[in-house]
Amino acid sequence: MNYQIVETSALPDPNEINFESLNKRYRPLAICTTWLFALLFIAIMTITRFQPFINLHTDLLAIYPYAFGCVMIITLLISVYLFFAIPCKKYCLKEHDLHYCSGLIFRKIISQPILRIQHVELKRGPLERAFNLASLQVFSAGGSLHTFEIPGLDMRDSQKIRQYILDHKDVLTDG
Amino acid sequence: MDKDLLAPEASNNHWQRLSPIAVLYFVASGIKTAANNAIYLLPALAVSYSTAKESPQLWIPIVIAVLCLISLTSFLQYAFYSFRLANENIEIRSGVFSKTYINLPFTRIQNVTIERPLYYRFTNTCCLQLDTAGSAKQEAKIVALPVDYAERLKHSILLKEKPATSKSATDCASESLAQNAQAEYVLNTRSIKDLVIHGITNNRVWIIIGAMAPFYDDVARSLAGFAERAGIDYQHYFDSQSQAFWQVGLAIISLIFVAMLSVTLLSVIGSIVLFYDYSLAKTDDRYIRRSGLFTKQEVTIKRSRLQVIAQKQDWLDVILGRINLELKQNSSGIQQTNELQDNQNKILVPSVTHSEADIIIRDAFSDNNLGKISFNAISPRFILRQCLWLIPLNLLFSLMAYFKSGLMGILLIQIICSFIICLIYIRWKRWGYASDNEYIYIRKGLFGVDHYCFPKFKVQQTQFIQSRMMLKQGLASINVIMASGALRIPFMRQHDAKSILENVLFTVSFKRKSWM
Repeated sequence: MNYQIVETSALPDPNEINFESLNKRYRPLAICTTWLFALLFIAIMTITRFQPFINLHTDLLAIYPYAFGCVMIITLLISVYLFFAIPCKKYCLKEHDLHYCSGLIFRKIISQPILRIQHVELKRGPLERAFNLASLQVFSAGGSLHTFEIPGLDMRDSQKIRQYILDHKDVLTDG
Repeated sequence: MDKDLLAPEASNNHWQRLSPIAVLYFVASGIKTAANNAIYLLPALAVSYSTAKESPQLWIPIVIAVLCLISLTSFLQYAFYSFRLANENIEIRSGVFSKTYINLPFTRIQNVTIERPLYYRFTNTCCLQLDTAGSAKQEAKIVALPVDYAERLKHSILLKEKPATSKSATDCASESLAQNAQAEYVLNTRSIKDLVIHGITNNRVWIIIGAMAPFYDDVARSLAGFAERAGIDYQHYFDSQSQAFWQVGLAIISLIFVAMLSVTLLSVIGSIVLFYDYSLAKTDDRYIRRSGLFTKQEVTIKRSRLQVIAQKQDWLDVILGRINLELKQNSSGIQQTNELQDNQNKILVPSVTHSEADIIIRDAFSDNNLGKISFNAISPRFILRQCLWLIPLNLLFSLMAYFKSGLMGILLIQIICSFIICLIYIRWKRWGYASDNEYIYIRKGLFGVDHYCFPKFKVQQTQFIQSRMMLKQGLASINVIMASGALRIPFMRQHDAKSILENVLFTVSFKRKSWM
């Protein structure tokens, strides 16, 4: 994959071509993760409902089918949201900064000057490993609340970007 | 150099012990920890309450046992604590069971804080706290150092950050030390009158409330007892059956008045305790804040590490023309658990006048126009957006009020709503932003008004936020992330937002100045 590295300092427009989409496998991964959590939640609920050891209150037993339905509906809504929201997530590498754009309703462009980067991490959970994806985390002195993160990158792409950042002359100088 | 400078008692390559007075510090911190953890004992206390009530003498051995335990652990902590200075590193070994070893190079030290609690005043010793730019775990505290030793250590740590000259080390050190001592001049001091104003305008009650927390019940009980003995039947005053309506009202008003008066009084005392003998001094590249009535605190911050200057005014400050000036530095990675700790991360200059604030701001950020610049207003859409959540709430509460008390209820809700809209309007009016070649300025507030100012080249990250509606209106919000925290400007013109962010990113990447 060749990155188009833009040399101006203009704030990029996500509608421009130079923005890269996340990997195609990221959408199924995100939806899978959501359902996995929902199933786990439902499993715990079901086990608690049908276990023979402790007598639960009758109200609690009556709530069970509604809770089940609620979890399913919420998960479905989240899945629909993710289906449409993930294509909005894009990133762009420029000569001096990284940009990440996201948001279905609230569009947000986060820009991280490479000069201010303190360290870079690749994060891979078990599911991400199964999908051969990785999240790139970039830390600045802005604190852990403002960690710049690009999720859903192909493993090889993420390594390339990390190398691009590490080899960048701005990171090598003491910023 | 180190030998001459840093080793009044022992050779610096040897591990040194603390002075025995340090035990006092460990005892104090042990008691503090015990008091903080006492809350976990509450369930146990609740269970054994009745037994304890019958035989109060049962407590005596428990208290004695706790005190013995604290003394023993304090002594062990003291016995296992040692430190040494070698090759411009400070090394600290501590811990009885879990051993800790800290190695801190002088060059990595960000702040040097000298603290003199009351119980150290008599022995002429102090605590030296060294903070790094990194995480909160990487800080070191050396307790019970002789004051002059701590001062010398501080100077040599601060000197290390400057590039060394070619002169012989000892000469250089003593010379710059002398220069440092001469070059230090006082930028600002606060008189008792200023502190009283500060206490009135800013609630400093938390210091006293925090310290008194364990005694609330006793205080309330003894107050009630005192009132009874003095022949005041307070229940009588508030009994609406035996008193006329206006009398009860008067009693409530006077009670509120007395409460406010005492809160203000406490606040003034808190302000004096914290800022007594306040001075903000300056050497060529550092600010030094000294203050405190009981615990004298001295905080040193490097000027280049200032990130943001905040000029805060509450409504009373606006009337009296006073400003609380905050010089904020890097605070990421440091967990702020309470306001006292937070104080070490910024320099607060309490209740200065406009001209005094101007002097300090111009000294810290040169070519700064905070006082003169004219601010751009944000879009009036801000009001509309804030009112959006008000509409469903209004409907809901109106409905509830209607069923409860008819049309009068709806009227009341509408009055409250219009009051909230007024507040939103004032908030919108306060919002403002401006930028010049080097700095970005933000103004915001409600009853009071806060001004923020920061250099563009110190920005860590920027965020551009826009909803679909805002896109149609050509508006956008921005977040500017500094090492001291995020600053937000909502509902700007899209063009302004973009040009400010582009300019910031350009300044960061092309000026290539260090933010530290």
